[in-house]
Amino acid sequence: MKGLFKSKPRTPADIVRQTRDLLLYADRSKSLPDLRESKREEKMAELSRNIRDMKSILYGNSEAEPVAEACAQLTQEFFREDTLRLLITCLPKLNLETRKDATQLVANLQRQQVNSRLIASDYLEANLDLMNVLMEGFENMDLALHYGAMFRECIRHQIVAKYVLESEHVKKYFDFIQLPNFDIAADAAATFKELLTRHKSTVAEFLTKNEDWFFTDYNSKLLESSNYITRRQAIKLLGDILLDRSNSAVMTRYVSSRDNLRILMNLLREASKSIQIEAFHVFKLFAANQNKPADIINILVANKSKLLRLLADLKPDKEDERFEADKSQVLREIAALEPRDLA
Amino acid sequence: MARNKLEFPLDAEAYEIICKIGVGVSASVYKAVCLPMNSTVVAIKAIDLDQSRADFDSLRRETKTMSLLSHPNILNAYCSFTVDRCLWVVMPFMSCGSLHSIVSSSFPEGLPENCISVFLKETLNAISYLHDQGHLHRDIKAGNILVDSDGSVKLADFGVSASIYEPVTTSSGTTSSSLRLTDIAGTPYWMAPEVVHSHTGYGFKADIWSFGITALELAHGRPPLSHLPPLKSLLMKITKRFHFSDYEISTSACGKKSNKKFSKAFREMVGLCLEQDPTKRPSAEKLLKHPFFRNCKGVDFVVKNVLQCLSNTEQMFIESHILIKGVDDEEDDEEIVKNRRISGWNFREDDLQLSPVFPTAESDTSEFSPRGGDRIQDKPEGDNVVPTGSEVGLGLSNRNEDAKEQEGEVMGFDRDLVLEKLKLLKKSLEHQRARVLVIIEALSGEKEERNREEELLEMVEKLKIELEAEKMKTLRAEKESVLG
Repeated sequence: MKGLFKSKPRTPADIVRQTRDLLLYADRSKSLPDLRESKREEKMAELSRNIRDMKSILYGNSEAEPVAEACAQLTQEFFREDTLRLLITCLPKLNLETRKDATQLVANLQRQQVNSRLIASDYLEANLDLMNVLMEGFENMDLALHYGAMFRECIRHQIVAKYVLESEHVKKYFDFIQLPNFDIAADAAATFKELLTRHKSTVAEFLTKNEDWFFTDYNSKLLESSNYITRRQAIKLLGDILLDRSNSAVMTRYVSSRDNLRILMNLLREASKSIQIEAFHVFKLFAANQNKPADIINILVANKSKLLRLLADLKPDKEDERFEADKSQVLREIAALEPRDLA
Repeated sequence: MARNKLEFPLDAEAYEIICKIGVGVSASVYKAVCLPMNSTVVAIKAIDLDQSRADFDSLRRETKTMSLLSHPNILNAYCSFTVDRCLWVVMPFMSCGSLHSIVSSSFPEGLPENCISVFLKETLNAISYLHDQGHLHRDIKAGNILVDSDGSVKLADFGVSASIYEPVTTSSGTTSSSLRLTDIAGTPYWMAPEVVHSHTGYGFKADIWSFGITALELAHGRPPLSHLPPLKSLLMKITKRFHFSDYEISTSACGKKSNKKFSKAFREMVGLCLEQDPTKRPSAEKLLKHPFFRNCKGVDFVVKNVLQCLSNTEQMFIESHILIKGVDDEEDDEEIVKNRRISGWNFREDDLQLSPVFPTAESDTSEFSPRGGDRIQDKPEGDNVVPTGSEVGLGLSNRNEDAKEQEGEVMGFDRDLVLEKLKLLKKSLEHQRARVLVIIEALSGEKEERNREEELLEMVEKLKIELEAEKMKTLRAEKESVLG
């Protein structure tokens, strides 16, 4: 097949144009039932070949590394018209192998620069509604992994991530990551994490604006979920978010809430050591806060001896100097606490 | 296309566990039936997520790989879901177990060639598909090739597989357009030299090497170098002391297994896979066209000649065997249960050989002699540059005519290249040190406490000595070629 590709004198732009025509055909073909089945199959096979050819131009193949000029041509032609939209909407009509190729193709295109511009970003900025299409597609279990992977690649662009965070979509992730199919739930979790950690300034802005509902939902739906894996992933991600310097304002408010402290202290008591360790990384922020509100201090004082005992026993499986350093600091903080009158 | 896939329920209640068929560090495998689906028999791999060292990202990749691959020779997951702290992966139940268990229980001296070709061809189909999809399996061995009673053969275990299209590091955001990987993965005896050692990374051809080793494993009942501790087998590989293609010929031509004769096509096919230079190894697609596979029999043949004799007398045995052994002895069911990630190394088999990681010359020689045969005996004493390193000896002691000729050929072939390689080897000492450290860490995680530091120093010392030996050898070869 690779040899076949070489012998054809088509330019990368030709392949994109042909693909677009074939996608248009695939898009319509359902509404033209009189078309001969064999003809249809032939066209779909040709479409599959084209998508694979584009993939090997972008990724290279076993015989050749990708050529920058060819990649640029392909990318430019691809985004010159609405090819991405066509490809996304036609995905259900493609066979499994071609779906995978298409997903990899879309992923790679997000990273291609033409004249040192990510033109995929410009295209998506003008077509943000495509994110809604991808989002809907994710709810179809047969297509979820393909659309999910495309979605995650698209939010590499800050402008796209911002759109998603500001939309209602972000709320759906609280449910997606608890779907029963592990592979799909894990895909959603990966996207959720990407949304909340990749673009620092956008994330900080989002969290500041949406602090109330976001952390309420985060606590009740994720940290207090009955599902082990949800709790474990959520506590890890929470640590990542709060420990990021760009989110320090949000963090300061988070660690001043008694409700949050209660949830964290419960997680510290979990039977799962992985969860305990991750919970510690958030709990230490409550303890290290130099302006602890009185109610926080009182909770810590009331549980002083239990906390000191629990923390003293808490050890990661692998030796971790930083953990030990953090731990002794937290132990000192807590040991030194005295009850305070509620103001 | 793949949508004729049956929808298996995502609920533990729907499955009834029959028995445990294997156990590993953080995973167990069960035989079970799916009640709402007419009690279809399935295998369930239960991975303890709390114990599992693997991060979610790699689990996500593994389950994704398993649900998106679609090929008759690949073991798919029907579905996967979490049950409390475990991840359950529901898969087809392969009643005859792995080729490793078939060979070790019923064909300890190896399978007949006409059966090997059938199993290998099916496996190669899977590899060819995987590579076409941009996946490297990275752990091909008889223990990961499963067989069902109808003769269907499936390549399993994507615990360490990797996709060249999916960058592993999300943070750096680099695309792996170079189609190469650098992290170390696999099981030592089956690992290609460049996986252990290379600076430039490795690609699909690493799987081809493992495939070649698997061929020898099926032919002889065990992989080459498996009489050595795994670490040492790695060293042998990276220092190129051992000619794998020789192994096949020498063991069949002399020694106790002399009654085994393999066809020229088979030997040639294996030789191609075990080329030191990955670029000289054929692709899976190309290898399928090799004459060895041309007149290959169908799966019916192995059903009749291998599997039926199993199912009459051995089948029950294997199952009960695994069941009993599963609890107290993991040695044999290593193929059924893969420990997560690191366990792919499987150092268990060599528990006993492990403590002397660097055996003395005497013990080593005696270990070699039944296999190496005449070579060792013919070795002139003075020729051994490093008296302690008998594995060095193996390389240097090829003083009989055949070996000399061959060595001369290798050296004369491109002296500069060899020098170049040696320089690279020197540079890579640090690199190897780091990797060895990883291996040692993996080891000490499962074994009794060992003094890592000491072991490491010893290892580095050893490598230095070997490097010196290589230098001498090259020097001598240089002299020889100048004289000659």
